[in-house]
Amino acid sequence: MILVIQVFLAFVRIGFMVFGGAYAAIPIVEHEVVVSQGWMSYAEFMDLLALDEITPGPILINSATFVGMRVAGIPGAIAATLGCIAAPVIVALVLLYIFRRYKNTPLVQSIMTSLKCMAVALIASTMIKLGVAAIAPEAPTIELLYSVYVCAVIALAFYLMHVKKLGPLPVMLGCGLLNLLVSGFIL
Amino acid sequence: MAGEDPKQDNLFFKLRALFLATFTISCTANSGYAILAVMKDDFVNKRKWLTEEEMADYIAIVQSTPGPMAVSSSTVVGYHVAGFAGALAAVLGVILPPFLVMIAVTVFYEAIVGNPYVVLFLRGMQMGVVAMLFDVIIGLFRNATDKGGAYPYVIMVLAFLYVRFTGCSIAWLVLACIAAGIAKALLVKRQEDLR
Repeated sequence: MILVIQVFLAFVRIGFMVFGGAYAAIPIVEHEVVVSQGWMSYAEFMDLLALDEITPGPILINSATFVGMRVAGIPGAIAATLGCIAAPVIVALVLLYIFRRYKNTPLVQSIMTSLKCMAVALIASTMIKLGVAAIAPEAPTIELLYSVYVCAVIALAFYLMHVKKLGPLPVMLGCGLLNLLVSGFIL
Repeated sequence: MAGEDPKQDNLFFKLRALFLATFTISCTANSGYAILAVMKDDFVNKRKWLTEEEMADYIAIVQSTPGPMAVSSSTVVGYHVAGFAGALAAVLGVILPPFLVMIAVTVFYEAIVGNPYVVLFLRGMQMGVVAMLFDVIIGLFRNATDKGGAYPYVIMVLAFLYVRFTGCSIAWLVLACIAAGIAKALLVKRQEDLR
């Protein structure tokens, strides 16, 4: 029981410290789970990262469930998952309240404009990271044919979403299937 | 329809729709931005629960919130659509798929990672994610710059350089952007007062 509470508190702490998207969670989970608490070895942590990549949902939730499961079984998994959503739910509701209350003041409008610009920059940075990883997965070695093919798929997906107004979900599933066919059976 | 209170039916319908929407999104999307993009498509374009402007404000709020973006965006959109219960339904929808899948995956770990077809499918989805992020950026960029002036561009460039090249915590960037927003509002007010 004490272990379950410890897991819960550890993930509450982690939740408050993760800023700036899914990949920002990795070093913080590593610090708390491997370095501070010693719940996992580095080898297990690498396993966890691989699992994060191939499972649906936010990395932090995946990690919480995995770590909680390993440390204290199903109760641990539940405690860890609830722990890591505490911060986003509470802070988002507080910010939403402040925003709604003072929405039409020039001060809040100006702050919102700044934060929107920040959002553009953050998303652009993530896009570049993911784009490079997709186009040149074995960097620094670049396989030209494969890179051109990836660029074409990205361009096609963008065209379908932006011009043809197709939803992102079918487009992404389509990309997955396309790559399965092309890379699996042709390249 | 059959109920005495049509509002109650409406709320139930909304909660169910919220839960199903975030559940579906969470089943397929791996990053917070993917979830934002699908929510935008579903709630703004199809269901008209929010306007484009409101969604842009919410994206900014979500960016300033710690923790997974999927959770904070579900909270904010859920609250907007159906109050506190809406936030709960949306968050529950978004955390259940990774929670259940991860419990199953811990059991069948080796078989899943070893399957090359799973890996190829995921690689293809990553390409789609890049395109989707670009689409999100364009919408947000237009919204942030529609009031004109050089200010938005300056913030964007500085924020981009910060995240790309310093590796420092995003929490500082959030605080700096809030400070810059306050400074700009005070400056504008002072100019108006002088006039």
